[in-house]
Amino acid sequence: MGSGAMSISSDGDDAVALAAEDQLRVQLLQLLATPLSAPPSAELLEALSNIGGDDTALGQALSACGAAARDTNPEAEAEAYQDLFIGIGAGILVPFGSYYQTGFLHEKPLASLREDMSSFGVEQDPSVKEPEDHIASVLEMMAGLIDGRFGTEVSLERQKTFYDDHVGSWAPHFFKDLAATRQSAFYSALGALGVIFLEIETKAFEYV
Amino acid sequence: MEEKKATAKTDRRGFLKLAGAGVVGGGAAAAAAAVPAAAAPVEPTKTEGYQETEHVRRYYELAKFM
Repeated sequence: MGSGAMSISSDGDDAVALAAEDQLRVQLLQLLATPLSAPPSAELLEALSNIGGDDTALGQALSACGAAARDTNPEAEAEAYQDLFIGIGAGILVPFGSYYQTGFLHEKPLASLREDMSSFGVEQDPSVKEPEDHIASVLEMMAGLIDGRFGTEVSLERQKTFYDDHVGSWAPHFFKDLAATRQSAFYSALGALGVIFLEIETKAFEYV
Repeated sequence: MEEKKATAKTDRRGFLKLAGAGVVGGGAAAAAAAVPAAAAPVEPTKTEGYQETEHVRRYYELAKFM
């Protein structure tokens, strides 16, 4: 395993510290992914209640998330999570890439994601039953491609391709839908943060 | 060609720095660092059993900006 303090590459030797802006991207991806993978715990809400920013769009979206995290509790968010993503039969939103792009689960976008995961040497935890194109999973994979946690260095060009194919192609729509929901102020604030953050990501990848 | 590519990457960095500036000024990164790593339902793992746990968590602790 890596030896340097900032190293997370599994071999450690050629690990390079991430630039500050890339660290921030990874953190924001993780911040968005975590409450989408499961309802937030009391600890997570506590941590999130401290986030904030200045009067830029991103800063304000973070402040709104922080405020919403302060004003809620795990029970209310567990209920909102259930209504939003699971529901009886189905939630209000279906947080899977294939569904967003084709109207059905398990279609071509999922197959294409699986191929790309395999090319990066990443596979699904066998204990997980959901398809890999869950919003939290693609965000986390994106974070992993940036910070190299899967042990392989991924060029910016390949990051862009992965982003365009598996994140940019549908996640902005998902976050827009999430922002418009009324189940919880916290999840709609998270949706708004996702919209703004992915606008930045999409624009930044246009430089590549 | 290579030069053009390098310029584009510099521009991209500049853009991202600017876009993220509002956050660095606030308290976001410290809290983001508190978000546990690897919480996604699919929990992608590197084949051949690469496991991120303390390793990555430590990274998040160290990645605070302020």
